[in-house]
Amino acid sequence: MATISFDLVSPENLIFNDDVGTIIVPGKDGDLGVLPGHSQVMSSLRPGRVMVYSEDKNLVKSFFVSGGFAEINPEKCIVLAESVVELNSLDKSSIEKEIEELGIKESKESEEQLSIAKAKLEAITVSFYDKI
Amino acid sequence: MPSLKDIKTQINSVGSTKKITSAMKMVAASKLRRSQEKAEAARPYSSRLEEMLSSLASSAASGEGIIKLLTGTGNDQNYVVVPVSADRGLCGGFNSSINRETFKLVKSLEGNGKKVQLMPVGKKSRDFFNRVMKDQIIESFVDLNVSSTGYESALNISNKLQELYFEGKFDKCILVFNKFKSAISQEVTQQQLIPLDVSNSEKEEEKENSSNAIYDYEPDEETILKDLLPKNVSIQIFKVLLESDAGEQGARMAAMDNATRNAGEMIDSLTLKYNRTRQAFITKELIEIISGAESI
Repeated sequence: MATISFDLVSPENLIFNDDVGTIIVPGKDGDLGVLPGHSQVMSSLRPGRVMVYSEDKNLVKSFFVSGGFAEINPEKCIVLAESVVELNSLDKSSIEKEIEELGIKESKESEEQLSIAKAKLEAITVSFYDKI
Repeated sequence: MPSLKDIKTQINSVGSTKKITSAMKMVAASKLRRSQEKAEAARPYSSRLEEMLSSLASSAASGEGIIKLLTGTGNDQNYVVVPVSADRGLCGGFNSSINRETFKLVKSLEGNGKKVQLMPVGKKSRDFFNRVMKDQIIESFVDLNVSSTGYESALNISNKLQELYFEGKFDKCILVFNKFKSAISQEVTQQQLIPLDVSNSEKEEEKENSSNAIYDYEPDEETILKDLLPKNVSIQIFKVLLESDAGEQGARMAAMDNATRNAGEMIDSLTLKYNRTRQAFITKELIEIISGAESI
């Protein structure tokens, strides 16, 4: 089976760069499953999970991104994200606390952070496939 | 004529200055390497973003709201100038050249009848403009430590700028910063941040576009552009901060290298003077002894 090259880039560094089988990216209007030979798409992203699967369909890495952009062409998929964390480094109780604190404040910024934090919580609670 | 003791003290003090400057040089050299790595790491993101933006830029002919970051407000009466300097001195002409250049720019804009406001980044430019044009400063950012805090620091500046822009406080924003050319040379550069200047990146894109097929946009071009533009402002600022940080370390390294060398030369000439003076004293004493012995 063919592979597609995948780059996950944050402003501070290049986080992931390898040839993989499938990537699931959280597009603004819904998740995109990217396989080798995908058509050329440029999409903006919502806060959510980026799941990376190997050629034999096993989960390799999972990240949480707080939004960004994806540029996809048949050979390559590039995700530009402002903040990237590995999914398994997220801690449920600390996120819940964050949501609570942000809920009290009422400003445009905290609203945005709140929606990101909520997406974070969703990302770790909603189940996903280890193998597809 | 200075006494032997005076010269000895002077040699010692120059010697300890030399030790300090050479230590600072070493510190700057290692920091420079780190800053360069940071700047290197930020490159893929910013170049990708620029590429995306220039391919989208053509689709936005005119518009309201966020698109204004690209198309401008239609006026060019009010300017915000952002000089990016270091927080610390002892780095040669690094800070003063930024301040001088900004000062010149502000004066020339004002000469053309524009209104100029300042938003200095870094202690050295804040202090300078606090002295010369205090009432024009709208906000200042100091102690950013971009190499340790990273992208956050750029976000603060970018958010503030965009907030003011959408309130209609200014029409154009220009950054003045030291572009990192090599470890020993920096170039004072002006960059128009808002509205975005896509003219130079567009040319490169034309070449690439000929080989690239056209993209599908999801949800649509305008939505992407709306997300993209504010991020681009932040990333441009981040890039400039990193570049300026690397430049600062480079400038400090060069300045301290010079200072160390000068101290070395000074010690050499002082040592020579010390030896001469000592010799002169001995000769004088000998003459006194001999002439005393002769007179008996």
